[in-house]
Amino acid sequence: MAHEALFKPIQIGNLTIRNRVVSTAHAEVHATDGGMTTDRYVKYYEEKSKGGCGLCICGGSSPVSIDSPQQWWSSVNVATDRIIPYFQNLADAVHKHGGKIMIQITHMGRRSRWDGHNWSTLLSPSGVREPVHRATCKTIEEEEIWRVISDFAQGARRVKEGGLDGCELSAVHQHLIDQFWSPRVNKRTDQWGGSFENRMRFGMEVLKAVRAEVGDDFCVGMRICGDEFHPDGLSQDDMKQIAAYYDATGMVDFFGVVGSGCDTHDTLANVIPNMSYPPEPFLHLAAGVKEVVSVPVIHAQNIKDPTQAERVLEGGYVDLVGMTRAHIADPHIIAKIKAGETDQIRQCVGANYCIDRQYQGLDVLCIQNAATSREYMGLPHIIEKTTGAKRKIVVVGGGPGGMEAARVAAERGHDVTLFEAEPQLGGQITLAARAPQRDQIAGITRWYEMELARLGVDVKLETRADDAVIRDLQPDVVVLANGGHPFLEQVPEWGYSDDPDESLVVSSWDILSGKVEPGNNVLVYDTMCEFGGMSAADYLASKGATVEIVTDDTKPGVAIGGTTFPTYYRSLYQKSVVMTGDLGLHKVYREGEKLVAVFENEYTGEQEERVVDQVVIENGVRPDESLYYALKARSRNQGQIDLEALYAATAQPTLAESGEFALFRLGDCVAQRNTHAAIYDALRLCKDL
Amino acid sequence: MLQTLLPILIFAALLVGAAGACRRIRLWRQGQRTPMVWRRLALMPKRYLNDLHHVVARDKAIAHTHVATAGGYVAAMALALVVHGFGWRNPILGGLLLAASLVMFIGTVAVNLRRVNPPPKLSKGPWQRLSKSLIAYSVGMFLISLPLVGVAPTALGGGVLAIVLAAVLVWGLLEMVVGMGWGGPMKHAFAGSFHLAFHRRPERFDDNHADVGHDVHRGSRSTALFPLDLTAKTLGVEKPADFQWEQLLGFDACVQCGRCQNVCPAYAAGQPLNPKKLIQDMIVGMAGGSDAHYAGSGYPGIDVGKHHGGPSEPIVPQLVEAQTLWACTTCRACVEECPMMIEHVDAIVDMRRFITLEKGETPEKGAAALDNLIATDNPGGLDNASRLDWAADLEIPRIKDRPEGVDVLLWLGDGAFDMRNQRTLRSLVKILRAGGVDFAVLGDEERDSGDVARRLGDEATFQRLAERNIATLARYRFARIVTADPHSFHVLGREYSAFGGDYRVLHHSTFIAELFDGGRINVAAPTQPETVTYHDPCYLGRYNGEFAAPRQVLAALGLEVAEMERSGYRSRCCGGGGGAALSDVPGRARIPDMRMEDVRTTGATTVAVACPQCTAMLEGVVEPRPRIRDLAEMVADALVATAPAATVSSSTREEEPA
Ligand SMILES: Cc1cc2nc3c(=O)[nH]c(=O)nc-3n(C[C@H](O)[C@H](O)[C@H](O)COP(=O)(O)O)c2cc1C
Ligand code: SF4
Ligand code: SF4
Ligand code: SF4
Repeated sequence: MAHEALFKPIQIGNLTIRNRVVSTAHAEVHATDGGMTTDRYVKYYEEKSKGGCGLCICGGSSPVSIDSPQQWWSSVNVATDRIIPYFQNLADAVHKHGGKIMIQITHMGRRSRWDGHNWSTLLSPSGVREPVHRATCKTIEEEEIWRVISDFAQGARRVKEGGLDGCELSAVHQHLIDQFWSPRVNKRTDQWGGSFENRMRFGMEVLKAVRAEVGDDFCVGMRICGDEFHPDGLSQDDMKQIAAYYDATGMVDFFGVVGSGCDTHDTLANVIPNMSYPPEPFLHLAAGVKEVVSVPVIHAQNIKDPTQAERVLEGGYVDLVGMTRAHIADPHIIAKIKAGETDQIRQCVGANYCIDRQYQGLDVLCIQNAATSREYMGLPHIIEKTTGAKRKIVVVGGGPGGMEAARVAAERGHDVTLFEAEPQLGGQITLAARAPQRDQIAGITRWYEMELARLGVDVKLETRADDAVIRDLQPDVVVLANGGHPFLEQVPEWGYSDDPDESLVVSSWDILSGKVEPGNNVLVYDTMCEFGGMSAADYLASKGATVEIVTDDTKPGVAIGGTTFPTYYRSLYQKSVVMTGDLGLHKVYREGEKLVAVFENEYTGEQEERVVDQVVIENGVRPDESLYYALKARSRNQGQIDLEALYAATAQPTLAESGEFALFRLGDCVAQRNTHAAIYDALRLCKDL
Repeated sequence: MLQTLLPILIFAALLVGAAGACRRIRLWRQGQRTPMVWRRLALMPKRYLNDLHHVVARDKAIAHTHVATAGGYVAAMALALVVHGFGWRNPILGGLLLAASLVMFIGTVAVNLRRVNPPPKLSKGPWQRLSKSLIAYSVGMFLISLPLVGVAPTALGGGVLAIVLAAVLVWGLLEMVVGMGWGGPMKHAFAGSFHLAFHRRPERFDDNHADVGHDVHRGSRSTALFPLDLTAKTLGVEKPADFQWEQLLGFDACVQCGRCQNVCPAYAAGQPLNPKKLIQDMIVGMAGGSDAHYAGSGYPGIDVGKHHGGPSEPIVPQLVEAQTLWACTTCRACVEECPMMIEHVDAIVDMRRFITLEKGETPEKGAAALDNLIATDNPGGLDNASRLDWAADLEIPRIKDRPEGVDVLLWLGDGAFDMRNQRTLRSLVKILRAGGVDFAVLGDEERDSGDVARRLGDEATFQRLAERNIATLARYRFARIVTADPHSFHVLGREYSAFGGDYRVLHHSTFIAELFDGGRINVAAPTQPETVTYHDPCYLGRYNGEFAAPRQVLAALGLEVAEMERSGYRSRCCGGGGGAALSDVPGRARIPDMRMEDVRTTGATTVAVACPQCTAMLEGVVEPRPRIRDLAEMVADALVATAPAATVSSSTREEEPA
């Protein structure tokens, strides 16, 4: 049997987990009702359990104390008894499908923000500022220490009374417990700092208090780091010593191990490894901990596909695999493995849209799966066939929005034709995947290609749909997702021309696609500060060009999320790419063989020039609207989308009408947004077709 | 002249024929002896007219032809004996004799018409000749008897015409009387009669099956393999003389009609097996000689005429290649169709037993499965303790925790180790819970039923497993066993009784149909009309006669079943039985592919199955193809809540979609 190790049940404490797969703790940003688990929250976890996940550890970083701010990330509030009945619903929803559910509880110490809500003064062992959140904090006092210890115990009690299956104490990502552990942050000279025992004391007292409160037969685990990756921080050997020390108490039922510290931008990126990382980059750290403890060890970090998970487990490196983002991307991953439908798994591509939203305090969403965390709205992971008439659907544009529209329409049982002008599907994803370390994003397209083939969608590549072609097909519904073009014509002084020989500037698209050869000395001008410009710069540098990337914003890449800009910076700095902020591109002109780019400082108005042989511009996308306007008048809904229905994710009223075709457009052919926006619109528009 | 000649001819023919018959009986008795109870011959007529005719009558034209020809012949022969033999030349008897000959002649015409362009299943050679001989006999007898009623001139009694007529009649008598004893095609009548009387499976006949009702499908009345005495000197059949004598007799009854050949899935797939040729080879072995005289279709890929045998010579490989024996799926289609009620599967398994137990030459994957069974009690070689892993989240009660007993013991079978079949099992659990059924499982105390071991010829492993399972079951109390695996169902229900295990075993389709009947489960009507077809598993249908329950379940689901041409007792095997999936003998085509073609011709988009092995085989067919769904899955998906039944088992819970 395939995947034997994956499906081997395991005992954690008194709990039997049906397989070896865990959705590890992540801040969902869904407990919006003052920290109570909402309908959305419950459905989000129910879906994972329904999809076969063995154990869900919910509530990443759920605070047990009133001064560990809850609101920033809408975490579950374990600091109040009010939560108890909410837990009951959550537990029932997960248990109903055979899964188990625990929650991560914590005091985040200094790892938070103080500038809002209760305006809490943040606590930490020695009052050292935390750079990621730019968080200053006070030095915790003895009384507060004992209060927090008892808060942990009370939090654990609430978890148990609420009927969850266990709790995980967070001693990872530089929360209060591991702030005490780490000599990098703990500079105390009293009984809570200094020697190993003293640094361990706070965690030990927490563990003892929790155990005393919940008894022996309730599952209590600890999530720890495998190596902080700071010279003055905890090393793998230190962590093994710590793990063994706590394990020896017999009070810990399991350990979760995460490689890397988390208190700098650079180490944070390790914690939720994006697509630039290899598979399971830190497994060895978890395996090291497993060597010294007597209880099951969980490890999550870039374990995405079933074969990989099987290999990790079969090798005996750890006892359970966390497949956290794998479940965000496809909560039915386990059911699909079991059904022998591994081809149909929507595999996480490590775009980290989920976590990058979380750091902004926004609800966690998946870049490619718009149904995730929208289960409560009725957005389906499994699309039911229509019971109504079979329709003829024409989709124009094979980017993410068009592919999703075609997929959903075909799942509904309709007859779907998809037109794509390029020789392959993917749209801008194809371009994005050309950059160094970004190739995995093409996984999004790969999944759609397989699904569209499976569903029998008629994909017409290298075919530009026009009014006549569409008319011939006599469609009932036309979905336009035909994107746009790089917006280089915005500033005439940049010297862009449709004629490549005339044009002084080239687009980042033409660079990434390989249509234009990289120059030797290249200037990238990026107004967007997102992936496009950084990717173009990285691509050029990797081809040997000398590159400077300039923006009129504060710094190139500033609009990229917290777990991804560091990996760009690593790459760009390594290749000596110069990153310059605050300069607007005023004008480009030719001087002999060279191009001169004239910049103006945003704040002083002072001009400076760069003499280069290629100017690449990333200025976003301008929608292509001509096809839309050619079809609009004839369509029965005049191209209008009913927003009430769209936002409520219900059927578009025009679908019930008859006459000429209904016309919808979505994605960048309307206005530039992002991959998720296009996919979300496609799903909610098409799910009731 | 004829008047003096006729009695001489008739008695001479009878005498020579009888001598041949004695020799024939001696050939049969080369087999392992059981006492020959002559009085059992009395059973023959009824068995012939009733049971055998039942099978023959599946082909109406042949049945009528045979009634006319054989009936006419028997009557004509008897009357000729009286009239011409003993000289009681009564005109009334003469008239009857004429009528009998005429009836026979009419049948003979039909025989000859069929022989003008015989279908490939039929053998030619002597069988072509027989059709002519029949004419000779009936016409000769008719003309010779005409004077009895004063129609023809008595002058016929002399002259050239008389000599010609006598010659024709001699031809007829040689074929019809002498040939019967000496091994011509007419041997079938003689051997067939004895075979019916001394059949090793008396339960197959209406006059002798105490434990099963008359409405039980005839083919399924006796399907358990015979236990092998493991203390015997040689285990299994090495040479023809190792067969029971009744088996040799049975082979000898073969009429080479080719019905078995026509239904054999292995033959159709071009694997080197043809049940008809196999039976003929057994006769060659019994009588000694080569297969060169065989005038029918051979084993695909193996030339006819190159093999030879003798009663005390090893069968494999000089008479039959081992490949031939390993290609059989034990589907019993041949046995089901055979008008002479010959037991091909018994013979094949007997020969496999020798290969496996005495020579240790089971084909590779089969041998591995047997080794695994010895080491871990399941053919996959998996830790038996993991038998319930798939249900870790279902909290299914163990029977060891239910000393007071349960209604249903759910037998999981080795599908419990297979991810695909686990979906079926989970569905079944969901149904049992919805129906408020009081059930439990053995869990890791369950062992493989021994089905595969037994069909691969490893009777020792089978018996060991059977004994251990029976000992385990003896410790617990339950009213009945329910299983989703027809192989376990057959073995537990039919084959364990020989080892002291008597249980009420139900296949899940039967049990689910019962739940529907009792109103214990409710389902929603299908949202969309869908064409489904149903594939009868051999071990459920032909082996155990359960054709109705699965169809009842589908009807309860509100589904219309588009039946395949080969369904019910004529269902075509999926190719997975009898260890054939393990021995995996190459052929021209794959059996499951052919079965899927059967499915496709119905236009069905889903094929309902009721066996883990069928599921695996059919799902092995490359896509695109119709969906394959176990009945349990279909029911579980359609379940809607009923008024809460008195639930005895643990809390009802939903399951993940799998
Ligand atoms: C949106 C998001 C939020 C997270 N929040 C937490 C958290 O609050 N506490 C924690 O211990 N880990 C957190 N993690 C880390 C995950 O538990 C996990 O270790 C990480 O995603 C790597 O595993 P993966 O590759 O299977 O996704 C978070 C991850 C994501 C994607
Ligand atoms: S957003 Fe990206 S990283 Fe997050 S789950 Fe989806 S595919 Fe994976
Ligand atoms: S049992 Fe089935 S496979 Fe075997 S010989 Fe008979 S018909 Fe062929
Ligand atoms: S074995 Fe039976 S079915 Fe086959 S040819 Fe002989 S008589 Fe016919």
